[in-house]
Amino acid sequence: MSQLQNAFTLFLSLLVEAMPFLLLGVILSSILLIFVDERRLVALMPRNAVLGAFVGGCIGFLFPVCECGNVPVARRLLVQGMPNAVAVSFLLAAPTINPIVIWSTWVAFRDQPEIVFYRVIFSLFIATVIGIIFSIQKDPRPLLQTSLAKSLNWQPETPEKESIPLLLQSGSFLIGNSGKTLRLDESFAATAVLPAVQAIPMKRRWLTFLENVVMELRELGGVLILGSAIAAGLQVFVPREFVLNLGQDPITSILAMMLLAVIVSICSTVDSFFALSFASSFTSSSLLAFLVFGPMIDLKGIGLMLSIFKPRMLIYLFALAAQMTFLLTLAHSYLF
Amino acid sequence: MNSSRLKIIVPQFIDIIALIGWGSLLFKYWITGQLNLLIHPNYFFLVLITSIALFILGIVKLWTLLKQWQKKINLDSNDNRSHITILPKHFGSGLLVITALLGLFIAPQPLSSQIALQRGISESLPLTRVQTQSFGTTVKPEEKSLIEWVRTLNAYPEPDAYTGQPVKVTGFVVQLPQLPDNYLLISRFILTCCAVDAYPVGLPVKLSGSRSQYPNDTWLEITGEMTTESLPVEVGKSTTRRQLVIKAKSVKSIPTPVDPYGY
Repeated sequence: MSQLQNAFTLFLSLLVEAMPFLLLGVILSSILLIFVDERRLVALMPRNAVLGAFVGGCIGFLFPVCECGNVPVARRLLVQGMPNAVAVSFLLAAPTINPIVIWSTWVAFRDQPEIVFYRVIFSLFIATVIGIIFSIQKDPRPLLQTSLAKSLNWQPETPEKESIPLLLQSGSFLIGNSGKTLRLDESFAATAVLPAVQAIPMKRRWLTFLENVVMELRELGGVLILGSAIAAGLQVFVPREFVLNLGQDPITSILAMMLLAVIVSICSTVDSFFALSFASSFTSSSLLAFLVFGPMIDLKGIGLMLSIFKPRMLIYLFALAAQMTFLLTLAHSYLF
Repeated sequence: MNSSRLKIIVPQFIDIIALIGWGSLLFKYWITGQLNLLIHPNYFFLVLITSIALFILGIVKLWTLLKQWQKKINLDSNDNRSHITILPKHFGSGLLVITALLGLFIAPQPLSSQIALQRGISESLPLTRVQTQSFGTTVKPEEKSLIEWVRTLNAYPEPDAYTGQPVKVTGFVVQLPQLPDNYLLISRFILTCCAVDAYPVGLPVKLSGSRSQYPNDTWLEITGEMTTESLPVEVGKSTTRRQLVIKAKSVKSIPTPVDPYGY
């Protein structure tokens, strides 16, 4: 009975700790919705896969929240047509490449500043590479949850069509007010009906903001609760020595820390302190694996990312991120 | 009031209850000090702001709902671009409401000795505290808390350096099976950000009687003197470790403190 009580306390503590960051992320994402013309932001993104993936990782710097916070933002950007490479690498790198996380990592590992350095470099590298891999799939819709994919208006960039003058293409067309001809097809309905965000009056914008905050809180809050419940349950009912006994061997320590990272699901803004508590029993490469892999993939994050991606996509993300983290940190343990 | 309007209103109402429920839960934790049992004090202010923000959101949403009801406007949101769900519709707010209610009715408890044993009680600090480089004798030994003793020991582990010093510490009881019957461990948890990373530390106490009068999780105030002894490390093995032990002169039961964790 006391174990159940302990599990409940741990569950609540995870939620109470994460809630401010979740709210912050949702508010930031909703502000993005009403104040930023996302179509312009998306248009600014480089189309080149490599550059796009790298830039996507870096713009995480502008969103200083942990993974609870950047998932709503990534979702918004994807719906607005952000290229795959940018969105995926943003999702993976943003929880780590932001001022708060870098600062807290430095505070925790003041005696080992190289940990901060490697955390940033490894995360950015992994995120960029995975972003490049997913840039091969140009159309994001098969990757996304069906309901999200339906509301996404995605136009393939087909240079061949542009060479044929509009007049010679078959189909139905509308002539808009500006004299520009628009093609009438399935995605037309979505774009035509949505007014540009700047055209909406202020009062209506705030109403949209409110609606969006409540909707995202409801969605992500529910998922956060499920993830925290699983994390707390595993914490209490799986004996920790089982995971900790693997601490000294270079390979098993890395694997054990990665597994712990997934189970514990702690916010990236504070996970450096958590990792530090294992510094006496684990190799620093395994701590690095915890710090790099945890913010990308953990039980809580998987739950949140299920609101964007299909499960198969998440399995790929997990496998790629896990392998790359493992290889990089193993190299780190042998070379440095 | 026809049922189709009800169908639209009720889920929105649950949203509002979820917001206000969580706002109240966070506020209740802040006001009653139960936040001490859950997270590190650095984040208390953040939680307060969040609870106020959630309240404001709930009230504003309620107000807009009432206004729309009065004007008999179509209550379903026109803005379709933001409605992307993975959980069944409004499942999320249901979960939030249930958790808030559970949290309001079930008080959080300090973590128990079972968790301490599971995580392994240590005599050294987790490396989250900045290591003290040198010691001034500004704090008198009898005024040091358990965590300060552990910090001292961490900086200079030789037990003989402290033998004879007066001790007065508080903590909860953990009975270690490998120690003889007149020994128990007095412990505390150290938090870095929230209860999930609570790290137990403790020191052995030598009692004059049997430890059976002090069951696990009892909070005690121990007054006594430091001494050095060799105590067995594991059950069934004969290896002993020379370590600092508190020789108790007086043992007093105290109520569970409001802030049982150290930082």
